[in-house]
Amino acid sequence: MVAQGESGAQDRHPAALGVLTPAPVSHSPAMVVGVGNPLRGDDGVGVAVVENLARLALPEDVQIVDGGTLGLGLVNLIEGVRRVLLVDAADLGREPGEHMCWRLAEARLPGEDGHLSVHSAGVRDALLLAQALDCLPEDVVIVGVQPANLEWNTGLSPRVQAALPQITQAILAELGLGAQ
Amino acid sequence: MTTVNVNVHHLTRVEGHGNIVVDVKNGELLKCQLEIVEAPRFFEAMLRGRPYHEASHITSRICGICATGHATASLRATETALGVEVSEQTELLRKLLFHGEMIDSHVLHVYMLVAPDFLGVGSVLPLATSHPEVVHRALRIKKLSGDLCAMISGRHTHPIAMTVGGFTHLPTTKELLDMRERLVAAREDMDETLALLKQLPWPEFERETEYVSLQKEDEYAFIDGRVATSDGFVYEIPDYRRVTNEYLVPHSTAKHTKHNRESYMVGALARFNNNYDLLHPRAKAAAEELGMQPLVTNSFLNSAAQAVEMVHCVEDSIRLIDELVDRGIHEQPRYEFEGRGGEGVGSCDVPRGILFHNYVIDDEGKIQEANCIIPTGQNYANMEADMRALVPQILDRPQEEITHMMEMLIRAYDPCISCSTHFLDVEFV
Repeated sequence: MVAQGESGAQDRHPAALGVLTPAPVSHSPAMVVGVGNPLRGDDGVGVAVVENLARLALPEDVQIVDGGTLGLGLVNLIEGVRRVLLVDAADLGREPGEHMCWRLAEARLPGEDGHLSVHSAGVRDALLLAQALDCLPEDVVIVGVQPANLEWNTGLSPRVQAALPQITQAILAELGLGAQ
Repeated sequence: MTTVNVNVHHLTRVEGHGNIVVDVKNGELLKCQLEIVEAPRFFEAMLRGRPYHEASHITSRICGICATGHATASLRATETALGVEVSEQTELLRKLLFHGEMIDSHVLHVYMLVAPDFLGVGSVLPLATSHPEVVHRALRIKKLSGDLCAMISGRHTHPIAMTVGGFTHLPTTKELLDMRERLVAAREDMDETLALLKQLPWPEFERETEYVSLQKEDEYAFIDGRVATSDGFVYEIPDYRRVTNEYLVPHSTAKHTKHNRESYMVGALARFNNNYDLLHPRAKAAAEELGMQPLVTNSFLNSAAQAVEMVHCVEDSIRLIDELVDRGIHEQPRYEFEGRGGEGVGSCDVPRGILFHNYVIDDEGKIQEANCIIPTGQNYANMEADMRALVPQILDRPQEEITHMMEMLIRAYDPCISCSTHFLDVEFV
């Protein structure tokens, strides 16, 4: 389940990102899931971030998962996990590449309840379902990144690509690993 | 006289954007269309110039539900183009992986889309409150199928271990045997699924069409074989365009297809109708329990055919594991490109129906041309033909009910109109 660099992925070696292999300071077990579709421009930012994280020497109890477009499969994935960080493109009303971390309770994920689509089910739908089934992890942190482009196209836009090191650092800090 | 105007924009619980437009004035059906607002997928653009070994990884991202299906069709196209023979072990593992995805996709559709319609709840969310055991069962089956996929392909979605000529990672005998045990235990959930489906009030609606699927002589075909139709036509896979005959319609950005009739149907029901004899006996028993014998001409029963296929896939997975364990799992040599390109077509019958990938690869191993025909695209014309047949039969019903029936009809096809972004909308509180 640990994400591996797949052929075709752009080279995002940590050194190139200015990210040093973090020393475990005081962290708790967690799962980091990058979601989104790399064929839709910046929607692939979550996957790009976990590809970076997977290249680092992280403690074994920090699971890094390329969730892609797994939809409601996210419910199965996070069930029984205490702490989950979800990395996804999100409309934050900010500049492309800017990110925010927040706990699930701190934001509303608007949408039409009752009109859930399975194929396009995303983070929001999966979280609502997990909540309805009472299997939501105790601590869900969402790392939202403002996209610039969501067209069918591979590769991130330059501003989102340039923001990857910062986002990676923020996640490491959130995990209690080599916080900057 | 009846006047009905149904206009469902952005059909809910259908992937992508589909609009149903029905216009009836004085009892006369003026308009009955499924408008598809599909973003061009740029398959060709995304693949052109890329090395052959990236194609399956790229195309597996087209869809989170059919990731293995796209990857397999892509690999078969590449392997055919490059003249790569795959081992029996690889074939067995691919079939097993494919079954995992088939179960995964079908359980989502049957439980999360179809069941809420029939049980009178808006979606799976209220269902999780009103019938939690039903949703828990669905997720249990989904977990099993997801774990089966991960065991072989390296992760739950978007298979990474499956490559041209074979696998970069192989399951152990212990993993296979553990999975076998879980599959045997899943029979109970399959029985419960059938019991649930049996009590659903399936709409009465009959319209025979041409059913198109892959076909093999010795197995219920999902990968390779020939393209067969219920009207008696059989084609080799490279001749797929003789079946698909794509054409444009003014009201939709997606191409339509037709063969011997005004339209044809692909998917679980088409496979069931064309290949019933090769279903596992338990799957045949399941079909009998649901009152299904070919030829089934009620499109709503596509979802029931999916349940029958779930039973088949569970049973056939057990058989495949037995065969793999008997043979022993062996490391195999990796394919190495020999500097000669070519053209190839790969075809799989994925959860939503027959899928084609067609690549031209040059002597440097780069993709020059790519074409991909997805199942849902092949079903559009048939969906509309069904709508035109159904509307006059239900015109006396309240408009709301007509609208609901039309939505249910389209959802029965389990359409995947455009694999959308997972973009989050956020409002801070």
